[in-house]
Amino acid sequence: MLSVAKQIFLLATYIIRRIIQTIGLLFLLSIILFALVNIAPGGPLSAYGGKRIRPERIELIKRQFGLDQPLPVQYVYWLAGNDWMQVDSDGDGIKDSPGSRKGILRGDFGFSYRTRQPVLEEIGSRLPNTITLMGITMIVALVIAIPIGIFSAIKQYSVFDFFATTFSFAGQAIPEFWLGLLLILIFYAWLKNPVTGEPLLPPGGMYSLESGFSLADRISHLVLPVLTGALGWIAWYSRFLRSSLLDILPQNYLRSARARGLSERRVIYKHALSNAMIPIVTLLALDLPYIFTGAVLIETIFAWPGMGRLYYQAAVERDYPLLMAVLIIGAAFIILSNLLADILYAYLDPRVRYE
Amino acid sequence: MFTKSRMLLSVSLIVMTSLILAACRSSVPTQNSIPSAEPLNEPTGVAVPDIDINKSVTIVIAEDPPSFNPMVADSGYDALVMELVMLGMTDVDPNGNVFAELAAELPSAENGSVILSDDESTMSVTWKMREDVQWQDGTPVTADDVLFTWNAISDPTNGSWIPGSDYIESVEKVDTYSFTVNYNTIYPGYLTQFGGEQVAIWPAHYCDAEQGFVTWDCGREPLSNGPFVLQEWVEGDHMTFVKNQNFYLAGKPEVEQVIVRIVPDDAVRKTMMMNGDADIDMWINVNTINDLKDNPTAKVSLSPTDRWVMRLFMNEAAKGTTDPAATPHPILSDVNVRKAIRMAVDVDTINSQIFYGLANPVWTEFFRPPYVCDVPRPEFDPEAAKALLEESGWTDSDGDGIRECNGCTTAEPGYKMEMEFITYAEYGEPLELTQQLIAEMLGEIGIQMNISVVEGSVLWDLAENGGIEQSGNFDIDLWDDGYAGVDPTDYVWEAYSEEAMEPNGGWNFFRWDNPVVDALIDEAYTLEEATRKDTFCAIADFINEEVPIIHLFTIPNAEAYSARLEGVQSSVNDLVTWNIADWKIK
Repeated sequence: MLSVAKQIFLLATYIIRRIIQTIGLLFLLSIILFALVNIAPGGPLSAYGGKRIRPERIELIKRQFGLDQPLPVQYVYWLAGNDWMQVDSDGDGIKDSPGSRKGILRGDFGFSYRTRQPVLEEIGSRLPNTITLMGITMIVALVIAIPIGIFSAIKQYSVFDFFATTFSFAGQAIPEFWLGLLLILIFYAWLKNPVTGEPLLPPGGMYSLESGFSLADRISHLVLPVLTGALGWIAWYSRFLRSSLLDILPQNYLRSARARGLSERRVIYKHALSNAMIPIVTLLALDLPYIFTGAVLIETIFAWPGMGRLYYQAAVERDYPLLMAVLIIGAAFIILSNLLADILYAYLDPRVRYE
Repeated sequence: MFTKSRMLLSVSLIVMTSLILAACRSSVPTQNSIPSAEPLNEPTGVAVPDIDINKSVTIVIAEDPPSFNPMVADSGYDALVMELVMLGMTDVDPNGNVFAELAAELPSAENGSVILSDDESTMSVTWKMREDVQWQDGTPVTADDVLFTWNAISDPTNGSWIPGSDYIESVEKVDTYSFTVNYNTIYPGYLTQFGGEQVAIWPAHYCDAEQGFVTWDCGREPLSNGPFVLQEWVEGDHMTFVKNQNFYLAGKPEVEQVIVRIVPDDAVRKTMMMNGDADIDMWINVNTINDLKDNPTAKVSLSPTDRWVMRLFMNEAAKGTTDPAATPHPILSDVNVRKAIRMAVDVDTINSQIFYGLANPVWTEFFRPPYVCDVPRPEFDPEAAKALLEESGWTDSDGDGIRECNGCTTAEPGYKMEMEFITYAEYGEPLELTQQLIAEMLGEIGIQMNISVVEGSVLWDLAENGGIEQSGNFDIDLWDDGYAGVDPTDYVWEAYSEEAMEPNGGWNFFRWDNPVVDALIDEAYTLEEATRKDTFCAIADFINEEVPIIHLFTIPNAEAYSARLEGVQSSVNDLVTWNIADWKIK
C-alpha cells in the first residue's frame, strides 16, 4: 500500500501534468475553432443589418470588428490583443493610434458584434441562470434515476422493471421541444388553479414580475423546464445503472458476501452499488459541462435566459467573439470534467492508480 | 466505503443546497438601472409612479434588443424599444405619411425650409424644432443634441452609416431650436433622415461621445425623451418601462407601464396571447394570424400596406460569374424564358394553399403609396408558357419531361433546362413549401428545379466570403425584399442600377443591365413629385417587360394584440409601438 503522502504527491503530479496538457490542448483547440468559425460559410456582416447592407457600412463595420485584417492577424488580436501596436482607426490607411484590445490571454474576450457589449459581461449575465436550471435538473434526474435503476435491476422482469424500461425508451425517444410544448399546453393552457383560476404553472421565465420574491414562485417556474430536461437524463441514467448492476449482481464476490450472512440490503447497497456506480461517474462527468453550456431547446421553449440560447444566437448571427468565448469556455469545462472523472475514478476504484 | 458514501452524500447535499439557494436568491437579477451619470447630470423624473396594474401592457418578443440604437444591429427589436424612449425629428405612419415628432413642422420648398442651389444640383434643409420637449431629467431637447448626434454618426472611427449620410455636406446650428442640413446632391429622402424607425436624436449632455455612437453606454441605458422611461432590463428575461412624467404630450401615454418579455418560442407567445398573459405579440406569422382569427382574447392588426414582396431573382449571368454580357446565363438570359417562368407560377394557389389566403398578390415594385404604378397583372397560363418555351427553342426531345435546347439562342444544343433553386432557412416552413410548389409548377412546363435551402448569412454574404448571390453562384433565388419607408430612390439604385451589379457594390446580383433604367434612376433624384412618380412607373414598365425579377406576393405585416387595448395599429413603416402614446385600455 502506498502511503497517504505518496498518494497525494502522485495525485498532485498527475493533476499538474493534466493541467499543462489541458493548456496545450486548449491552445490547439482555439486555433482550430477560430479557423472553423471564421471559414464556415456566412459571416457576421451578412447577418448584420438584415438582408441589405450598403458597401459604405460594410467597410465601416469591418474596420470596427477587425475583420479587415487577414485571419492569422485576427487570431493574434483575439489571443494577445492589439494594444501593443498601432492600428488604422479611421480607415484612411494610416496607422494612427494604438489598438484597444487586450486579448483573451489577458481576460479580454472582445465585444459582441450584436450588442457591442463585452463578451464576458454577456456570459456572466447568463451563466448563473444556466447553472441553476441545469444543476437542479441533473440533481432531480439523479435522485429519480438511481432508485429506478436499482429497483429495476433487483426486480428484473417485474412489472416495475417493465414500466421502467418502457419509460426509459420513451424518455430517450421523446424530443424535448415536443415534450416542453405539450407540458406548457397541459399545465399552462388547460389546467387551472381551482382556487385562483390562474394557470397551474407559468409557461416560462425565471420568476413572476407582478409579485415580489417568493420561493413557491421560483419553484413553480422551475417545474416544467426541469421536468422536460430531466426526463431524458432519468431514462439514460436509470437504464445505465440497471444494466451495470445486472452485470455485477451475479458475480462471485457478492455470492460470497451473501454466504457470509450479510443482509441482501447490505450486499446490494454496499458491495454491488458502489461498483455499479463507477461507470455512472464517468457518464456524470461527461454530462457535467451541460450545467455550464445549457440546453438550447429547453431554454428557448421555457424562455429561460441561459447559455444555450446565447450560444445559439451567437452561432446563427455569426457573432464570432461571443461564439469563440462560449466554445472555448465550454471546451475548458469538458476537459476539466474529464480530468475530474479520472480523479474520481481512482477515488472510487482502488485498482486505478496514478503512478 | 461508508466514509466514501458519506462524503459523496455530503458533497451532493452541499451542491444541491447551493443550487437551490442560487435559484431562490432574493435579489433581482442583473439590472441596468436608470442611468446614473457621471459626470453627466443625474436624471430626474425617474421616480417610479404608483402603477395601476390594469394599465400595464406586456409585449412578448423573441429576443433581446441588442440596444436602443437600431443603427447598431438593426434587429427590429431595438427599434421597438427605441420607440418607447427616444424620439426622432419625424416618423412615418402606416399609410406612409411623414409626421413631425421633434420637428415643429415638416420642412419643404413651399414653406421655404428647403432651398435648392442655383443649378439645382444641391440643397439645404432648415429644421425648426419643438421647444417643449425635454429629456427625462428636465433638460430641453435642442439643436445641440441634433449636431451631437450627427457628429457621433459621422465619426469615421466609431460612427455608423444612416441612409443618405453620404449626401450630407454639413450640419449647422442656426439657433437653439433650429439647424440646417447641407446636402451635396438632391436627396428626396431628407424628411426621414433624422427620424423614422431607425434614427433617434441622442442627448448631448448625457451620452459620452468618446465611447462612440455604436458602443456608448447610453445606447443601452437611454435617457428618455419619449413616452416611457426604462426602469429595469434583465437580459434575456424582460425589460420594464414606466410612464415618462416629463413627456411633452399632456395626458399621454395612458398606458402606465410596459413590460417587454423575451419569449423565444412563437407557439408559447401565441399561447400567452390566447391566455391573456401577453398584450402584444410582434411580427406574427400567417399560421398565428389564422389561429387567432376568431379568438376573443387576442386580435390581429394588419398593416394597411405591406413592404416585403416575395420574389424570384433570376440570374442573367452564367452561374458563378458576374458579367452578363461576357458570360450570359445559358437559360435565363433569354427574356422569353423569364416570361414563361412568370406565366407558369400560380400565385393564387400558393396563397390559398400555404398562406391561408392572407398574402396579397403583387406584380410590381411600385404598388404602395405614394408610388403606385398601373402595371397589368401577368396571367397564370402554363400552356402559353410552354408555347413560349417551344418558340424560343426549348423542347423536350428525349421525353424525360425536361426540356433541352433545340434551336435556342443562349445555350449549346442539348443543354438541359435544369437549374438550382435556392431560398433561405430562417423564414421557415411557409417559404420552403412555396419553393417546393414553385418547383413543381415549373416542372409542369418542363423546367427541372433542384431546390436547396441555405442560411441567410450564406446567401447574402460578401463575395469574398463566398456569398452565393454577390458571387453570382446561383440560378434562381426566392426571398422577400422591398424598400423601407416612403422613399424608394436609393433602394431602386442599389437593386437595379448597372453600378450595383459589381460584387459587393449593391444588390443587383441578378445582373440585369439596362442603360435606360440607369438614366431613369438618376432622374429620380429630384424633389419634383410628379417627375419622380413618372420615373418610377417608367422603371416599373421596364421591369415588367424584361422580367429580371418576378414579384409574387406580399406577406402581411401583422401583430397580435389584446382585445383590451385600443389604438394598436401594425405598421410596415415602423414597429408596432410607433403610436404607443395613443394606446388606450378598455
